[in-house]
Amino acid sequence: MEAAVQPAYPLPLEAYDVRVTIGGTPIVHGATLQVRPGELVAVVGPNGAGKSTLVRAVCGLQRPSGGVVAWWGRDVSSLRGRELARLRAFVPQRMPVPAGVTVREAVTIGRSSQLRVLGRMTRADRDAIERALARAEVGRFAERALTTLSGGELQRVQIAIGLAQEAPVLIADEPTSQLDLGATVEVAGLLRSLTGQGLTVLLVVHDLALAAAIADTVVVVSAGRTVAAGPPREVLTPERLAEVWRTDARLSEHDGRTALHVAWLGER
Amino acid sequence: MTRRLIVLAILIALLVGAAIAELALGAVKVPPGEVLDILFGNGKAGPNHQIVESLRLPRTVEALVVGAALGVAGAILQGALANPLASPDVIGVTGGAGFGAILIIVLFPEKIALLPIGALFFGLLAAAMVFLFAWTGRNRGSIAKVVLAGIAMLSLFTAGTTGLLAAFPEKAPSAIFFLAGGLTSSGWESLDTTWPYFLAGAILVLFLIRPLDRLALGDDVAASLGSRPQLIRLGAAVAAALLAAASAAIAGLLAFLGLVVPHVVRMAGRTSSQTFVVPASALGGAALLAAGDTLARTVRAPIELPVGPFMVILGVPVFLWLLRRAL
Repeated sequence: MEAAVQPAYPLPLEAYDVRVTIGGTPIVHGATLQVRPGELVAVVGPNGAGKSTLVRAVCGLQRPSGGVVAWWGRDVSSLRGRELARLRAFVPQRMPVPAGVTVREAVTIGRSSQLRVLGRMTRADRDAIERALARAEVGRFAERALTTLSGGELQRVQIAIGLAQEAPVLIADEPTSQLDLGATVEVAGLLRSLTGQGLTVLLVVHDLALAAAIADTVVVVSAGRTVAAGPPREVLTPERLAEVWRTDARLSEHDGRTALHVAWLGER
Repeated sequence: MTRRLIVLAILIALLVGAAIAELALGAVKVPPGEVLDILFGNGKAGPNHQIVESLRLPRTVEALVVGAALGVAGAILQGALANPLASPDVIGVTGGAGFGAILIIVLFPEKIALLPIGALFFGLLAAAMVFLFAWTGRNRGSIAKVVLAGIAMLSLFTAGTTGLLAAFPEKAPSAIFFLAGGLTSSGWESLDTTWPYFLAGAILVLFLIRPLDRLALGDDVAASLGSRPQLIRLGAAVAAALLAAASAAIAGLLAFLGLVVPHVVRMAGRTSSQTFVVPASALGGAALLAAGDTLARTVRAPIELPVGPFMVILGVPVFLWLLRRAL
């Protein structure tokens, strides 16, 4: 890595000029982001901008064709899967829901990443599973089958699976995109309170009002590039909404309530 | 948890019962007490001793090993391919093994001893070709690619088998026993040549149980937990190919067992956790094949019929009963 981009101490996650090409099609053309310990970072951008691909690349799930991704200063390509699983948890947008698997079993599977091959579960592992169930507030229905859960419950279980890894960073790809208002508020509150407990969180979010309400830092991705990063109020300006989303809209904030005022049908 | 322990206990009881029946019943009936005496080395020398020890014991062990192997092969393939219809058929093993066996029967009838080797070789060859096509190029190791390559290979080898039988119709009767799936009382010979394949498959399966559970939550979750989905699928397919090809070498084509037994144990245990499904499928497959073979040897004794159809007749009612009660 070049000295110029190396900060004084390693951050949980730094990505510089990341490029990703899938099947010959360039999806991400140069994305840069930094995640500081204990903050909640929201990646926002229009559909097809490359948000999910960027997040998968920094997670080590997608090999970048260029650029640098470093976890605590260590290049992602030098980290083996199990090492990476100790540094970050990844919550996909929607996981398949296998029949005959209970919530506790699913969370146990999340913990299995920390075990040696053929190694047995220790007391510490069982404690980690209980903690994950409690922190994600899914302990109440731990014995229920995944197939019986609502969308919001399932999303919290997915977060619990990630928490069982006890990695310091949790990454979630559009955790609220399929949820109703109440479930969205619940999941958003959960992610914010986990951040308060010391977890570092990186989210892909569509809902700008939600991002503005919960994120410390917003990263805007447009057409495969990161075009802005900073506190929501500074980044999500009407000018930027017009430029990136081609929409006449403005964010407002009042008493912890955020709203996106959109000229749905253009000028009247 | 207790439910699973109860299911495992029932399966063990069924397995022990089926094994004793397999040893005791047949053209000559040996009382179960005497069977146990003979097994534990307390039996009197005599014809019964001879029958149990050198004819029925190897056959019973074959039934248990093959049943367990096919049950496990089905369980890990269904898990790896996230497909309830997966069985050793879909990785080409069954088609290849059938072709290899019929090739020996038709072209080298004087070297019938080579039949297990032919089945094993072509079973593994067909699987290797599936791996070659499914694990290269774009989307390598994706479920659709594996299944489609497997079905293509199954069709190809089945066409070869049908072609051979059509060209040499007089050989068809001797081929039926293999195609229907049957055990023989030929001593320890076939296990002597195939045990390394069973052992290698079983060891591979041990390492796959936990990764397969991760894969049940999707490729993304498995990958983020540090597993490599396409590698897990390849490992599962290789293990299943070893187990199923070795099984075909001993007992012919018994595809049904690998398809149904894992479903039965999942429904009975109400879980798809591989830590339960894999061992339970081994026990259930072993019990079903031993019970089926006992029937096959006794209904028209002294004529021995192929076990395949009997196993299906025993297995389908249990399967349908559980299916009706499942979610």
